Amino acid sequence: MVEFSPEVIDTIISAAALLGAGFAMIAGIGPGVGQGYAAGKAVEGVARQPEARGNIITTMLLGQAVAESTGIYSLVIAIVLIFTIAT
Amino acid sequence: MDPGPQVVTYLFGNEALPITDTLIWAWVVCIVIIIGARLATREMKLVPEGLQNFAELTVELIYEQIEAMMPGEGRRMLPFIATIFLFIGLSNLVGFIPGVVNPTADINTTLGLGLGVFLVSHYEGMKKHGILGYLKGFGEPVIILFPLNVVGELAKPISHSFRLFGNMVGGGIIIMLIYSAAPWVLPVPLHAWFDLFVGAVQALIFGMIAIAYIAVCRD
Repeated sequence: MVEFSPEVIDTIISAAALLGAGFAMIAGIGPGVGQGYAAGKAVEGVARQPEARGNIITTMLLGQAVAESTGIYSLVIAIVLIFTIAT
Repeated sequence: MDPGPQVVTYLFGNEALPITDTLIWAWVVCIVIIIGARLATREMKLVPEGLQNFAELTVELIYEQIEAMMPGEGRRMLPFIATIFLFIGLSNLVGFIPGVVNPTADINTTLGLGLGVFLVSHYEGMKKHGILGYLKGFGEPVIILFPLNVVGELAKPISHSFRLFGNMVGGGIIIMLIYSAAPWVLPVPLHAWFDLFVGAVQALIFGMIAIAYIAVCRD
């Protein structure tokens, strides 16, 4: 069994936390795809019914905000990893 | 490099009661809203002009949003929902002034607001259906799903508040990084995007989702 000094252990923890923050942000793919899909469908809706533009945009923004939750969770996890564990 | 809220001073010199910069700006926002409301309603006229016109427009917009989701409840729910809209809206927009920290870029602010919405929504549900009738609603469609429904209900204020917090803090961190790399022209369009557009949209969304949560609990 190899004994590590405390400095080495701290460095390993920092490196792992920073890597983890990077991996956590892979979740950003999901909201990107989801919000783009919602926006595309909203464009279709506006093209079909230009008079319902205001309602469609409000509904689209609400749906996108809910779809964004997962991305925001990963962002919070990444922030916690970077600023509280890796320092 | 620490993006979180900074402790400025301690209340009564007590180490257990820190006062952060976000808290101070939240007080400033409250005072600005109170003074603005007093000024707008000081001399009310039948045909509004100036500040009164703007205040009536804002209140009517929020009123219509509530009426669309909860018909007949607009007058009663207006004070709570309008407070959320105005406080979060102004809190998100003040970040546009350099050196000002968004009060909403602090989990304490957003979680407080989220818990407020949580309490109000369940109070409304219990008032409408009675406590037993309301608890029975958690056992739908089968009683086995009761714990799952409770956990889902508890997750609501967390996702609600973390959405606003994550958006404001994320924007703040990106702007801070740009300030340290290129402190001249470049931050201006980023401020416009993250503080004006994202701030306004997130305030709208927080309020709309608060209305939706209350409306769902009343069903």
